[in-house]
Amino acid sequence: MLFHNLRIAWKSLKRNAPLTTLIVTGIALGIALATTSAAARHAFARNPIPSKSDVLHYVRIDNWDPLRPYPGPDPTSPPTQISYRDMRGIMRSTIPARQTATFRSGMYVYPDPKVGRPFRENVRLVFSDFFPMFEVPFRHGTGWGRSADEGPEPVAVLSAEMNDKLFGGANSVGKTVRIASRDFRVVGVLEEWRPGVKFYDITQNFIEPPENIFIPFNFVEPMEIRTSGNTDGWGPSTAVPGFAGFLQAEVNWIQMWVELPTPEKVAAYEDFLRSYVLEQKKAGRLPRPVNNRVTPLMGWLKEQSVVPKQTTTLFIVSLLFLAVCALNLVGLLLGKFLARANEVGVRRALGATRGDIFLQYIIECELVGVLGGILGLALSLGGIAALNSWLKTVAQRGDFFRLDAPMILLSVSLSLLAALVAGVYPAWRTSRLAPASHLRLQ
Amino acid sequence: MEFGPILRTMRLNKVRYGLIAAEIALTLAIVVNCVNLIRDARREMAIDSGFDDENLVSVRSTPFDKAFEEDGYYDNSVRQDLDVIRSVPGVVAVSNTRFLPWQGGGSSMETRIAGSTGEMLRNQVYNADESTLAALDARLIEGRNFTRDEVDAEVLRLRQLFNTARPRDSRGQPLEKISQDVIISRAFAKLLFPDGKALGRRLEDTDGDQYQIVGVIDRFYNPYGWPIHEYVMFYPTTSRSVPGGAPYLVRTKPGQKEAVAAAIEKRLLTSNNGRNVRTRTITDIKRQFQGQSTLLVTVLTVLVVLLVFVTSLGIVGLTVFSVTERTRQIGTRRALGAQRVDILRYFLIENWIVTTIGLVVGTLLAYGLNVFLVSKVNGAKMDPALVLVGVTILWLAGFAATFFPARRGAAVTPAVATRNV
Repeated sequence: MLFHNLRIAWKSLKRNAPLTTLIVTGIALGIALATTSAAARHAFARNPIPSKSDVLHYVRIDNWDPLRPYPGPDPTSPPTQISYRDMRGIMRSTIPARQTATFRSGMYVYPDPKVGRPFRENVRLVFSDFFPMFEVPFRHGTGWGRSADEGPEPVAVLSAEMNDKLFGGANSVGKTVRIASRDFRVVGVLEEWRPGVKFYDITQNFIEPPENIFIPFNFVEPMEIRTSGNTDGWGPSTAVPGFAGFLQAEVNWIQMWVELPTPEKVAAYEDFLRSYVLEQKKAGRLPRPVNNRVTPLMGWLKEQSVVPKQTTTLFIVSLLFLAVCALNLVGLLLGKFLARANEVGVRRALGATRGDIFLQYIIECELVGVLGGILGLALSLGGIAALNSWLKTVAQRGDFFRLDAPMILLSVSLSLLAALVAGVYPAWRTSRLAPASHLRLQ
Repeated sequence: MEFGPILRTMRLNKVRYGLIAAEIALTLAIVVNCVNLIRDARREMAIDSGFDDENLVSVRSTPFDKAFEEDGYYDNSVRQDLDVIRSVPGVVAVSNTRFLPWQGGGSSMETRIAGSTGEMLRNQVYNADESTLAALDARLIEGRNFTRDEVDAEVLRLRQLFNTARPRDSRGQPLEKISQDVIISRAFAKLLFPDGKALGRRLEDTDGDQYQIVGVIDRFYNPYGWPIHEYVMFYPTTSRSVPGGAPYLVRTKPGQKEAVAAAIEKRLLTSNNGRNVRTRTITDIKRQFQGQSTLLVTVLTVLVVLLVFVTSLGIVGLTVFSVTERTRQIGTRRALGAQRVDILRYFLIENWIVTTIGLVVGTLLAYGLNVFLVSKVNGAKMDPALVLVGVTILWLAGFAATFFPARRGAAVTPAVATRNV
């Protein structure tokens, strides 16, 4: 029966091809814009690591000026990063299942002269827990062990791209790469790793792909490595000159992550931080009221407004645009159906109930919805490609926006819903036509 | 006038007229809000930096040769680089400064009027040499520029200062204060000294170190993460470090920046190969910084065009339908003596009523949507003139969308129209 309805609907749509094209295009435009802007927003808003986002926590400590809060949109928020001294202090905790302090630096890589000239590369300094914590995928080898953190041992993990560039894509585990003044032994090569936003460091351009080289954090001191990211500080300069002074100063440049698997662990870690701050206060540091934050991953992304407001605006506006398209559809369908009043008269005279007629026309509407949805999805692929090529010009990345399963589902449901909402009234109107008055003219 | 019959007819067809009115209302609300957002974004993008953005090139030399670790070698290399860049045809001015316009950030510090107990104020801070103002094409409105001798002397003095421990008091403040001559922006001068007399006055920082204002430049705007876009302090010294490299800012003759940038890269590498050189135009950097706004403007523009297209299609469609449906009615009226112009007038009045209702509702919706966007997301308050323009355009569009189908309807002869009755 339903198949029969579909066949009639298809025939009816084919009969007036230009009008059908107009109707389908109208709804497809609405779907295309709504899907594209939803995908643009979703690229920022989606959970970058769903399996662990509940247990990963970002840590902040308020070490700012006693007279004024840290400048930013919310005066109750502590600085977005922590100082080297506090990092050293809280890394002693054994409460987190895993933990890492991390930052990014620009360092020179000296490849084999046959491969190319020395080049500056973004290098991320991390503790060994970084790799299992953030589920970093490996192609060859693994991350380094905790013992390598302490030495620190000169070990490095390369991205797939860096491995291609330096070693022509071969398994480079065991080979060495010269970074700044030292040789580092490659212990792992990553698979292509493309989380949505670079969630582990949103203090800088978080649309960029992850860094290409990872080395142990503790090389900071022996190699005097400075961050290439934001450094926020206040108050008088430190008494000690040079790099040692920088490490002692109340300047914040380190991101701190802990993995806390249970609420009890979170509470215990918060207690630990409080007692750490109180202890520091006795030593004359941290003059502001205790204001530590242990923020779950998604909460942290939200607090830092990772989703650009423009994308939300675009999404709202394009939903309204879809509403206009649906309204338009009502008018067009009404005209189309009422023009076939005679056909309805014949069917009614031959025994079709009003319900049958209603069902027939609703199915025709949904067919329009499906066609519009398919065309809209195809158009939104173009829209997303355009977004990605725009992104390439501003952020060296061309795969940030994607049409993934949730977006396809949204697109399909929107088109079915729009067709249904737009179709109910015309189908109802058509089914109420009195058969006699339309048969008279045959 | 036929208001009575028209309204009675419309009551019989509430849904159809309601549809047109709703479509017009939504279109007005969306279009004026989009245009408002577009105008707001464009206004922000059009802010004048005060520099010759169009002809600026940023050059960064990052050394990997170990020789650069020696201070004297690096200092000489910077002076040599400046000479090499200056000798490239098409270069107007070149400076060694950390300041890079339109990158969306930079460095900042806190100062206040020396000796005052007032609040510390945050300002951007960058080094400058004797050519920085010339390279930016910034206008000195008071006082003097830095001299080359002054810059060279400061390089040595500051380096010695930062490499030795300064004796401090119990509060951690250095016992011996230092003083530097600085140039600040007009906006910062006005913020500090509302009386307008900034020249010769002194500022102090959190260490108690002093900054004597020797010059004031006119406009300065560099977008920053904190609201200090127009507040800047330049102090005389060079800028170079082993990990960070040496940054140069070059102003070229109009229309030559790409060619000049390529020539600079080549000549710098020829003069010293122990480094990498990267050049970028400031227009590129600015385009990156304004990327999101550009995208918003583009997408909203596309949306407005499509929306107007879809709506006019809808209105024309419905009018055609409603005229065709009433062919017989028109014929009857024509047979009873109505002129073509009467028929035309009937449809136009009908449309005017529908459009007006739609526009009234649309105006309310437009303001509602604006309030929602401003409070929940972002954007500027609605400009009433924009709504007025939108209303006028839609009124005219509605008129046009009715006029042509209606004229065709009115052209129907009574004989044809009543044939089937």
